[in-house]
Amino acid sequence: MIEAMPYMQSLLTNGKATAYHAKAAPPTVTMPRLKAMVSGAIGGFLDVALNFNTQAFLDDNLLDQFYRIGWKLVMLGDETWIKLFPKLFTRQDGVSSFYVKDTVGVDLNVSRHLDVELAAEDWDFLILHYLGLDHVGHIGGRQSILMAPKLKEMDEVIKMIHVRNILYQGNATSRTLLVVVSDHGMTDGGNHGGSSYEETDSLLLFIGLGSKGSNYSPYAHKAFQVDIAPTLALLFGVPIPKNNIGVMLPKMLDSLTDEQKLRALELNAWQLLRLLQAHLPGLLCGDLRCGGDGQSLQINGSTGRIKEKFCHLFSKATAAHNMWQLRQGSSFTSNTDDLRIAVESYYDFLRSASEWLSRRATDKPINLLLSGIAIMLISCFLLLILLFFLLREVYFTQTESCSQLKESRRSCHIDEIFVFIGIIIHVLSFTSSSMVEEEQYTWHFLTSTLHLLFLFSAIQLLFKRQASKRREEELTPHQSCISVASSIPMINNENYKISSVLVVLFCARVLRGWHQGGVNWVHLPDVSKLLVQAGSFIIKVLHIISLLIVMMPSLFALSIVRLKRGFVFLVSLSHFVSGFLVLLHIIENQSDNMVPINQSAASIAQIFYINIGSTVMLTVLASPWVVPIPCQETHMMTQTSLNCHSTNMRSDSLLLGFQDCTYMIGTTYVASWCLLQLLLQQPINAIPVLLIFLQLLACMIYFSIDGSHHKQCVEVASIYFLGMAGHFGLGNSNSLATIDVAGAFIGISSYSTVLSGILMFMITYASPMLSFLSMVMYISMKNTRYFSLPNKSKWSCMLEMKLAFPCLLPLVLNSVVLTAFTIILLLMRNHLFVWSVFSPKYLYICAATVCVYIGVFIIATTGFYTSIVLSFRTKRLKPEVHNFLFKFQ
Amino acid sequence: MGKIQISASKAFALHFLCAAALAAGYCLARDVYALNLISDPAQTLRLLLVFEGPVVIGIYSWIRRDPDSCSYLKAVGRGLLGLPIGASINAFGAIVLGAPIGIKYLTKTIYWSFLMSLFTFVPASCVFGKSRMDWQRILAHSKPMEGVDYMISLPAHGAVIGAWLGAWPMPLDWERPWQEWPICVTYGSVAGYLVGMLASSVFILILRRQDPVKVD
Repeated sequence: MIEAMPYMQSLLTNGKATAYHAKAAPPTVTMPRLKAMVSGAIGGFLDVALNFNTQAFLDDNLLDQFYRIGWKLVMLGDETWIKLFPKLFTRQDGVSSFYVKDTVGVDLNVSRHLDVELAAEDWDFLILHYLGLDHVGHIGGRQSILMAPKLKEMDEVIKMIHVRNILYQGNATSRTLLVVVSDHGMTDGGNHGGSSYEETDSLLLFIGLGSKGSNYSPYAHKAFQVDIAPTLALLFGVPIPKNNIGVMLPKMLDSLTDEQKLRALELNAWQLLRLLQAHLPGLLCGDLRCGGDGQSLQINGSTGRIKEKFCHLFSKATAAHNMWQLRQGSSFTSNTDDLRIAVESYYDFLRSASEWLSRRATDKPINLLLSGIAIMLISCFLLLILLFFLLREVYFTQTESCSQLKESRRSCHIDEIFVFIGIIIHVLSFTSSSMVEEEQYTWHFLTSTLHLLFLFSAIQLLFKRQASKRREEELTPHQSCISVASSIPMINNENYKISSVLVVLFCARVLRGWHQGGVNWVHLPDVSKLLVQAGSFIIKVLHIISLLIVMMPSLFALSIVRLKRGFVFLVSLSHFVSGFLVLLHIIENQSDNMVPINQSAASIAQIFYINIGSTVMLTVLASPWVVPIPCQETHMMTQTSLNCHSTNMRSDSLLLGFQDCTYMIGTTYVASWCLLQLLLQQPINAIPVLLIFLQLLACMIYFSIDGSHHKQCVEVASIYFLGMAGHFGLGNSNSLATIDVAGAFIGISSYSTVLSGILMFMITYASPMLSFLSMVMYISMKNTRYFSLPNKSKWSCMLEMKLAFPCLLPLVLNSVVLTAFTIILLLMRNHLFVWSVFSPKYLYICAATVCVYIGVFIIATTGFYTSIVLSFRTKRLKPEVHNFLFKFQ
Repeated sequence: MGKIQISASKAFALHFLCAAALAAGYCLARDVYALNLISDPAQTLRLLLVFEGPVVIGIYSWIRRDPDSCSYLKAVGRGLLGLPIGASINAFGAIVLGAPIGIKYLTKTIYWSFLMSLFTFVPASCVFGKSRMDWQRILAHSKPMEGVDYMISLPAHGAVIGAWLGAWPMPLDWERPWQEWPICVTYGSVAGYLVGMLASSVFILILRRQDPVKVD
């Protein structure tokens, strides 16, 4: 790639430019990086969330300082600048960075002004923010075929400015500094946001300072991105922004005289000292020049030692500076030794202060944090208590209902214990930064172990059934034929169960191998890398195959619904249309990524959104009204459930209606969500979406097969686990780099932060949402005849037994994780990786909390709406039935 | 059905023999062949297998369930047959839980799963053979456990749980060579196996103490 920028290389070899590897602090996304560059401060992590919704920047910064001394500022390019500094620029032309697939227009929009602006002489500070390179990286990664031409284009721009600059310099006294910087790096996969070397490694290039270019060593120097702010401030003679933690770059000192050099360093040292004083009250009071021979406030502990260290370094530097000044005053020979010592001691102080400050977490109001955590703990405990009461109630009714069941339950205790232990292990694993980085292994391990336990218990049950069968045979040999006949379906059931658990396990293993997630082992080969190498055609074929396979079970599931034929047909038809639209969209996207914005694909996606949205709304709203409810029909249905008595026939009809209805709605939810994900996710993720879908289906089949012997809470936990494991199976990780930005613009024709944000959320949390939506299907398929609540006829009781666990348990699990991680984060706030590992994870956990609440809200509202409509209808129906019976008599 | 009573001292001696075979294998690998589980796991596992295999099969065939109808050699044959079956079950479990699949890891996985089979499946197959009832009892806990059952099931459970726990350090970024598959898992399973054997000796001791009381 070096050959792609010949002019820049020639500048570097001739010593006309100085280049640095500037290390950017995470989060490596544009807005916090811009803030770091202009203010020299490392921003908070919340900036990532606000990245696309920028507010004006109010801290002390370089641009404000320039503006204050009367400079005219001009800005062309990324409109983030305009949002950060709304009133500073005399001229501006913002470019939206939102169309990630546009690699040409964003740069043309900047370059077209360049001729005019370079000719104009009224500006003092010109910012050009080219977005194309970022977009090229997002689309194709570091090795994209578009990369070389784009770098060449950038090189041309540098050349053009530099040539003009030289000409301009010829007839004017003032000189111009051209600074080329990049806000962040890029991973090989084309993402940024995290803290890997590839992402934090950014470019910093100074052209026009006329360094003593004898020693050519491109990129030999290392710097920090925050160093830009003090360097520019000192070079241009404006005050250093007061929150700056950067240090003047040593190479840039070369253009200054000796006195200016030391003065610049002194200013930088003062500024950092003031910042240190803000962090460490009591460090060097009053007179900056003379204080600090270590006898200032003696404080024990580490802070005292840090203060002493800074005092010592600072006083050493000022002493060396004074010495140099004295010698300079007395003898007029240049004393380079003194100068060198002064510069070195200044840098000792500056570097150590800067390092300490950058590591130091921003100030936190500890009381507020503690009270927040207390509230979290209270809510967590309340949820746990609620869960405990619910468990006790269910246990009670169950122990009363049938003793045979209780016996089978006691032996299967191991899965409940495991869920409990698994949650504890998961929470404990958060204390280790690498376990947070590699959380996908934890989830896969826990989920697969849970399902292995299911497999084991299914096999156990198989053996037990055989044993009991044999015992029966021994006891009553003459009746053996009957007992064999009755046990055959049982054993068949076990076989179904075993095979469905095997499907879950197989899919989980493939999912784990699909993306080599995490941080430390990303480079290892995985299925997705193999497929990318194999070419886009195979990926497309797999995409279409997975679409077809997703369509088949969902259409089949719809076809067995006991609702009105016409209605089911309508819904199936609209699903079919949706699937067809996704197919069209896949085919339309053929010319992958070369065309910036594919208009027809966008319109297809829009039609798809409308279609799928209306289908879901129609199904949810209408199906409780069309479900058959009269008692006459329930007669034949209830024959299937054996323990149906005439007394609670009405309630059974209500229950059956509820189950049919939620089944219909749940199937629609799941199928629509899968289709949506097949449209939104990267093509490589099509098979994982299919695998998660199959996993959830298999899991539900396993649970719904008659005689499922797990507690409902274990089943809900298992679905929740599958959702979380699938979240990582789709290639997500706890680094912000894996968020798929490109997918968030599918079908959006005009810029909209809200819509794109929603789409991004949908893509990232595809799998947990799918698990919540399938929970609706699960509550319909689950055979709950074991529940024998006393007054079954009331719909509130039915709701309790149906919805309590699916709603409460995810809330509890999430609340435990959220509370535990908040406490861990507070304890770890001085950890080395707090910004790179723990903070992104916290953002993910918060987003997951939102996801859980949305999911639970959907489950709860669906259940409530359905049951209210049904009970309303049964009530209205009752008089009619009475009338009917009366006439009959 | 023939109930075999096993005395605590006998059980302890048998367990001790199993552990001694493991230790001997490990010492031989370290001192004679200069092999190390960390540097060359496959060879070390193979050596452990060679030492542990005959001992386990020999011991558990000796305490077979039906000594009258089944000769010693037949029990040994059952054990040998059970070895690959148990290995494939263990390999399935490991791969499902995320053991790497690849040519590089193939031999290691095979040796590891054979060793695990010696810990878990082979003892049961030696003792029970294809007796359905006994398998049902040990898998489904349909009847109260006996002394030999403890000897089989506790070390097996210990080995499996130990291996499960042993996998946890693998994703940590300590960059130690022992974090590779299957080294720390092997350590975990051996540790769990030893703990399980100890526990089974203790259990049998307790069982023996209780039994006379019941008889009275």
